[in-house]
Amino acid sequence: MGALLEVESLTTEFVTRGGVVRAVDGVSWDVKEGETVALVGESGCGKSVSALSVMRLVAGPEGRIVAGRVVFKGRDLLALSDEEMRRIRGREITMIFQEPMTSLNPVLSIGRQLTEGLEIHLAMTPRAARRRAAELLTTVGIPDPERRLAQYPHQFSGGMRQRMMIAMALACDPSLILADEPTTALDVTIQAQILELMKDLSRRLGVAMLIITHNLGVVARYADRVNVMYAGRIVERATARELYANPRHPYTLGLLHSVPRLDEPRRARLAPIEGQPPDLTRLPAGCAFAPRCAFSVERCARERPGLVPVGAGGHVSACWEATRLGRAPAMR
Amino acid sequence: MSRYLLMRFLLMFPTLLGVAVVIFVLIRVIPGDVVELRLAGDRGAVSEQVLNQERARFGLDKPVWQQFATWMWGLLRFDFGTSMWTGAPIGQEIKLRFALSFQVAVMATIVAVLLAIPLGVIAALKQDTWVDYTVRIFSIAGLACPSFWLGIVFILTLLVVFKWLPPMVYTPLWVNPWQNLQQLIWPALAVGYRYSAVATRMTRSAMLEVLREDYIRTARAKGLWQSLILSRHALKNAMLPVLTVIAVEFAFLIGGLVVTEQVFNLNGIGLLFVQAVAHRDYTLIQALTMLVAGFFIVVNFLMDIAYAWLDPRIRYR
Repeated sequence: MGALLEVESLTTEFVTRGGVVRAVDGVSWDVKEGETVALVGESGCGKSVSALSVMRLVAGPEGRIVAGRVVFKGRDLLALSDEEMRRIRGREITMIFQEPMTSLNPVLSIGRQLTEGLEIHLAMTPRAARRRAAELLTTVGIPDPERRLAQYPHQFSGGMRQRMMIAMALACDPSLILADEPTTALDVTIQAQILELMKDLSRRLGVAMLIITHNLGVVARYADRVNVMYAGRIVERATARELYANPRHPYTLGLLHSVPRLDEPRRARLAPIEGQPPDLTRLPAGCAFAPRCAFSVERCARERPGLVPVGAGGHVSACWEATRLGRAPAMR
Repeated sequence: MSRYLLMRFLLMFPTLLGVAVVIFVLIRVIPGDVVELRLAGDRGAVSEQVLNQERARFGLDKPVWQQFATWMWGLLRFDFGTSMWTGAPIGQEIKLRFALSFQVAVMATIVAVLLAIPLGVIAALKQDTWVDYTVRIFSIAGLACPSFWLGIVFILTLLVVFKWLPPMVYTPLWVNPWQNLQQLIWPALAVGYRYSAVATRMTRSAMLEVLREDYIRTARAKGLWQSLILSRHALKNAMLPVLTVIAVEFAFLIGGLVVTEQVFNLNGIGLLFVQAVAHRDYTLIQALTMLVAGFFIVVNFLMDIAYAWLDPRIRYR
């Protein structure tokens, strides 16, 4: 299958008081049709900004995309006019946000927020849009849709609101959904429900998805391929299976160690990654992860490693010591 | 919803009663009364006995609680009594002046809303550009010049530049609307401009805040038109604090335009109030106070309804 979305050398900067922050630094990744890709990393590593850049929703004037291409179905989104881009947003590419509590408008009814996209993008009549909205609520597992459409966000629980966000994202039959930490703000039990729902819908409707998360557990279960981001760059990319079996970047290794596992004795301590993510205004010349890395050698502080193939299925890693990591005893 | 509004409605009555007690007591604490002021202009010419006779005529010799009860009983029947100073029925004294003050207040509010909301929204959208600065200077200027001074400037400009003077005698709207508007548009503009200043700033800051909300980003991500994002998603949320400012100012305008009324030679509630206090015209002061307080309370109640209409979180409580 061909690539639906190809992001090439995307660079997005923010002007802050402390200087220019390069939140996304020459990042390239792609999503194939119908595929689920994950973007993984700590807070502030640039994963959300990557998604917002694709949508051209980076908050200006402080933030702007300074370089790169975002090719969607053969068209560079960054070269489109505002009006052309508007027609793609909510129609071809949709987005699910992290905070279901604040991402819905409190003074507009659920029905209104669900139908407006349909009316604008698909030129539906209010009545047809309403019917479709009721169907959508049923699709995302909200019972009694007619009554629910007349309600307001504050009458919905967190999980229900996220279902509503998913319904909104699905409304116009998009080909790609960008889900920015869709379950972070929810209870653990609800998280699983929402993720299962998204997985099921994306498979059934053939929608491609980009899941942004800091939770590798989510990745293992729901993503086909994984991009690991650190300090605005991709440090490792592999299929989900390969990444778990054969991680080739110390940062990925660290992330895997910091996920609790049910199949290990309770006494086993979680191993957090020591230290803090670097200050993006003052990145070191070499590898940004070197100061926190247990494997770092003298070269790491001097030279920045690029992504190089390290395994099967397009597995790449940006680490000078990737081969040594591969020879290291299996991590668990 | 209906319970919320019913509660608000019922709360109006104890509030009014509180106002009645306070004003009734307060005016009687101020030294001097209407009888003294009317008869004893030149001290000593009138004997104490005559003064007491006059007081008895107004019922001022009775115990305070009895006076209060008489007044309350009148109020319940919408009978405000007669003015102690002029002897005319108070209803009649107030009627025309209230119509005038109310009309100026409404027109000034319309002017203010028409200025404040578009300007505030534009300033927020163009934050920190020359457009924003211009709007901010314009609104600060409105705060800085008193409306009576603006009024004088208006009149002088009309007179000197256009060789035209607006009508100086009040004609009710229902008698001759054209004549009426020619006179009242100027105070409405002068007051409305000043009044718009606060509302403009409020609209601007409320819009700035709302535009940063997550749900605005959601609306953008849905591919809505910018105009729809502003009118449907942003403005409705931003209007809540603006509404408060507008309502409070509007209620204030009924009795608070003393000087501006003077400048435009308007015989409004503000002027009447000042005269009533100067004359210690108890019945008139009481009636005016109740009128202005009642007006405030009704406007507040209407604002509560508007709140509920704008914000479902209030509606469904």
